[in-house]
Amino acid sequence: MLPSGVYFESFDREGRYLRTKPQIACFVGLLVLLAGFPFLSNDYLLGIASMMYITMIAVFGLQITVGMAGQINLGQSAFVGIGAYVAAALSGSAGLPFWMTIPAAGLAAGSASILFGLPAVRVKGFYLALTTIAAQVIFPIVVIRLPVAWFGGPNGLAMEPAHIFGRTLGSPMEMYYLCLAVLLVLGTFAFNLQRSRVGRAFRALRDNDIVPGVLGINPFRYKILAFFGGAFFGGISGALYAYFVRYVTTDQFTLWLSVWYIGMLIVGGLHSPLGAILGTLFITGVQETIHHVGTLLLASHSGISGGIVFASTNVVLGGAIIITLIFEPYGLAHRWNLIKAAYRIWPYSHN
Amino acid sequence: MVDFLQIVLNGVLTGLVYGIVAMSFVVIYRASRIVNLAQGEVLLVGAYFLWTAIFGLHLPLVLGLVVALAACMGFGMILERTIFRPLIGQPAFSIVMASIGLMILLRGLIQVAWGAQDRQFPGILPGGALQVGEFLFNKALLIGAAATVLLVEALNWYFLHTDSGLRLAAVAEDHVTALSMGVSVPRAANIAWVLGVGLASVAAVIVLSGTILGLSVSAIGFRALPVALLGGLESVRGAPLAGVIIGVGEALASEYLDPLTNGAMSQVFPFLIMIGVLLIRPQGLFGWKIIERV
Repeated sequence: MLPSGVYFESFDREGRYLRTKPQIACFVGLLVLLAGFPFLSNDYLLGIASMMYITMIAVFGLQITVGMAGQINLGQSAFVGIGAYVAAALSGSAGLPFWMTIPAAGLAAGSASILFGLPAVRVKGFYLALTTIAAQVIFPIVVIRLPVAWFGGPNGLAMEPAHIFGRTLGSPMEMYYLCLAVLLVLGTFAFNLQRSRVGRAFRALRDNDIVPGVLGINPFRYKILAFFGGAFFGGISGALYAYFVRYVTTDQFTLWLSVWYIGMLIVGGLHSPLGAILGTLFITGVQETIHHVGTLLLASHSGISGGIVFASTNVVLGGAIIITLIFEPYGLAHRWNLIKAAYRIWPYSHN
Repeated sequence: MVDFLQIVLNGVLTGLVYGIVAMSFVVIYRASRIVNLAQGEVLLVGAYFLWTAIFGLHLPLVLGLVVALAACMGFGMILERTIFRPLIGQPAFSIVMASIGLMILLRGLIQVAWGAQDRQFPGILPGGALQVGEFLFNKALLIGAAATVLLVEALNWYFLHTDSGLRLAAVAEDHVTALSMGVSVPRAANIAWVLGVGLASVAAVIVLSGTILGLSVSAIGFRALPVALLGGLESVRGAPLAGVIIGVGEALASEYLDPLTNGAMSQVFPFLIMIGVLLIRPQGLFGWKIIERV
């Protein structure tokens, strides 16, 4: 919603994300802030920020499958894992550079997701959730037992840092910029996807099972595509994760991680990529605060054990999901939009 | 041949124990149309209640069991009232997500209340093995299997021959029709949750008796899901039967296929069955054909 007096003379300008000069200024300011962040912080904060960007990419993907197309996916971390393994294997044995392994990881995860998206053509809702859980459960069992030469078996794979122009992207700052660059590209893609033809087809599928077919949208194709898109993001997130942690094992990609991803998306709001951003920010913030408080409490010898403080992360996330579902089903993104509208039309509110 | 029969018999016993966990899914689903993915964690809470009653409060065994069971049923009622009742009428997605939120929440609460370390669970059922002819049976599992069969028949009788059970069945068929016939849906859901959580804690006694209690026990919830699905989510009698099918299949796979696949087959087997069921017959063997399908 815009204040009265702001109008556009062409549909093209009306449809943009950044419509007015102050909006463009704010966005540029944000970009400058993100780019300048390494100079304002330390290695520890940079690590957290990079990890948050990596998570955000996976949650963007989940938003495409779950939020846009309405196909429940509880196996996102399996697809992240596939991406991580493929990136590690390709950069290790084949020695490919990161700008080839990262897209390859996305494609590999996307292709794997097609297999588990196929049931989506026949079942929906809760039953679909189950097949994706099956993907999640089968993933580590299979990966560990593949030939050791492929994915390292139970030991996992070690990973070389990324290289470009003879330079090693090993320091936290370089890793931060790599993650930020990929996040910006994929974020732009996710925001624009939702208003493209494909994105509208996804939303039609989410809202009704029969009507899209009548409108000339092939449900089979688009459901598979929704899974592919979501897992593609997941795979890229996994590849970045592999470059970040430099070691890949199946223990890193559990059902719990999938659950955390979906929790972030729900708290943030399912219906727009903005939800993915806000949810990841919120949950990471809470996690880090609790972590910090926990460390302080441990250091203060107050008798409160660290385990309790760290377990309370679970309590907060679980509680946040349930409270969001009951009281604010559209998540933080909805709240954010309300605040934004209120700010823009202030002081002349319409109602 | 004796080996083969022994494996099959063990599979049957394990399968019946899966069946009792699957039944707790079924009972809740019938009345409230909610598949509670957090059932494994709910079972875990029941187990910790029992541990506290017997080892923490030092109650005698029988009294401890009664107190813990009552506490579990109260816990089920609270879950229904606070979390799932406000979500009546919401899309399936919200309810699945709420159960996932509950899963995380309970895990955290258990760690806060009891700590994360593993502990010894009281040996409520007799341990050791019983020899019949050439076959050996695990006594706890044998008692558990017998209890499952008894409970199934009792529940089946309750659902088909008592007033309150028939109300639940009406609610299971259709919420709107049930409401217009004067059956209270929230009340039915409440009863179903109390029953379901009670069943889960009975399952906890059978599964855990004399073994180690820790967070990893909750995995049994996900192992029982394929069973509930294969039996049909509305069918009380289907659950133990599907349990036997999956239990035997798992036992045979672990004996004959695991050496070939490096131990993968028995773990993957239930989930392969699950995907197969979803693709071929989503309502399961004995479920009602009102499944949400595209």
